[in-house]
Amino acid sequence: MDTTQLLKGVLDLAVLAVVGERDGYGYDVVRRLRAAGLDGVGDASVYGTLRRLYAGGHLTSYVVPSEEGPHRKYYVLNDAGRARLAESTATWRAFTDAMDKLLRSEGEVAA
Amino acid sequence: MSDTGVNDTIDGDVARYATAVRAAFADLPGPERELLLEDLEDHLQEVATEAGGPLEERLGRPETYAAELRASAGLPAAGAAAATAGRARPRLRESGVARRLRRSWRGTMAHPAAAATAEFLPELRPAWWVLRGYVAVLAASAVLGGLYADDGQGVRFPVPALFGSQLLGLLAIVAAVVVSVRLGRRGPATGWRRGLGVAGNAALGLFAVFLLLDLGARTAGDDYPAQLVTVYQQASSGLRADGREISNIYAFDADGRPLREVYLVDQDGNPVVATHNDNPFLDPRELVDRDGKEVANRYPQAQQEVDPATGRRSAVPAPEFRPPPGPVRSP
Repeated sequence: MDTTQLLKGVLDLAVLAVVGERDGYGYDVVRRLRAAGLDGVGDASVYGTLRRLYAGGHLTSYVVPSEEGPHRKYYVLNDAGRARLAESTATWRAFTDAMDKLLRSEGEVAA
Repeated sequence: MSDTGVNDTIDGDVARYATAVRAAFADLPGPERELLLEDLEDHLQEVATEAGGPLEERLGRPETYAAELRASAGLPAAGAAAATAGRARPRLRESGVARRLRRSWRGTMAHPAAAATAEFLPELRPAWWVLRGYVAVLAASAVLGGLYADDGQGVRFPVPALFGSQLLGLLAIVAAVVVSVRLGRRGPATGWRRGLGVAGNAALGLFAVFLLLDLGARTAGDDYPAQLVTVYQQASSGLRADGREISNIYAFDADGRPLREVYLVDQDGNPVVATHNDNPFLDPRELVDRDGKEVANRYPQAQQEVDPATGRRSAVPAPEFRPPPGPVRSP
């Protein structure tokens, strides 16, 4: 199954989880998602998701000046973002539980 | 190749790629585009430095990158945005409050009762057409000064006067309702006529609300002028002398002594009865004879007065006649 399709539905949750773990700038979030095993995630999708969550009031930001490289805009989870993360996590858990059960019985039929 | 050469290649690649991506956002207003693309070059630079090789190999075509960015940011695709330009505002600019309002509005309208009401509302349109014609005549009457009676207290309602004639007002109402219904059945107008129609409807609606409030204020008990209450009390006694309303009768003998108890009958022997039993502001004490039968024609009547404000009852004091009335002879 194409992971990219699955990712579209849960990219918000994945990005919220990564930023909730630690503040991060755009490409940092991309890297951490990849490191977590989500290889199929597109750079542009992560940037766009960050912008949308920011515009929707789930993230705030601060800029970290740097002497060598570019100034970086770090994103922070705020209260609304944390609430959204908790809510989406619960939804995700319920969904995966249901899918797990479904697939387990499928497996028994196949076996 | 020197280091500078590599950097030049990277810089050139980043610039080309960034330009191509930015081109796909040309339809967005400047500030919004900037917010979306503010660290595009930094991102591309970091990717290029890290991976080496052309950016397209690592990120795909710039057009694909742009489309992905648009979609994940919640913006319509570039073509769709152009097609609906000016109508659908990109969601990125929507504030949190607006978003919540929109969501709660949708939630409200999703409720079955709200949906049923919304479905039912268009059926009220013909009723508004009729009301609109009537309200238009009321408005005209108000402008011409024929809505309120000449003493400034009462309202010529429900039929207003036009040029001093209520008949003319009635004819105008019939005509206005016919025109209004015809306009309504023709359906929504287009262009400037539509704007005119919306403005006219809004103005008449506002006037109707204003008129209702005004009528309410004029008829509310608290605002009733005191003299109107007095008139009401006298009018309902049912007793008249010389064509003028009187509220009680006091009898005296030839020497000016008051008679406490007289019974009045008319030329046919029928009792002369004051009929203010239905006056809420006057409460005649029940008059009964020794057998317990009501004696409605005994005078002077013992009367009680009800204070309209507090509802408290009090005896109406007998007037003091000085000097005591005696026989009145015509000159």
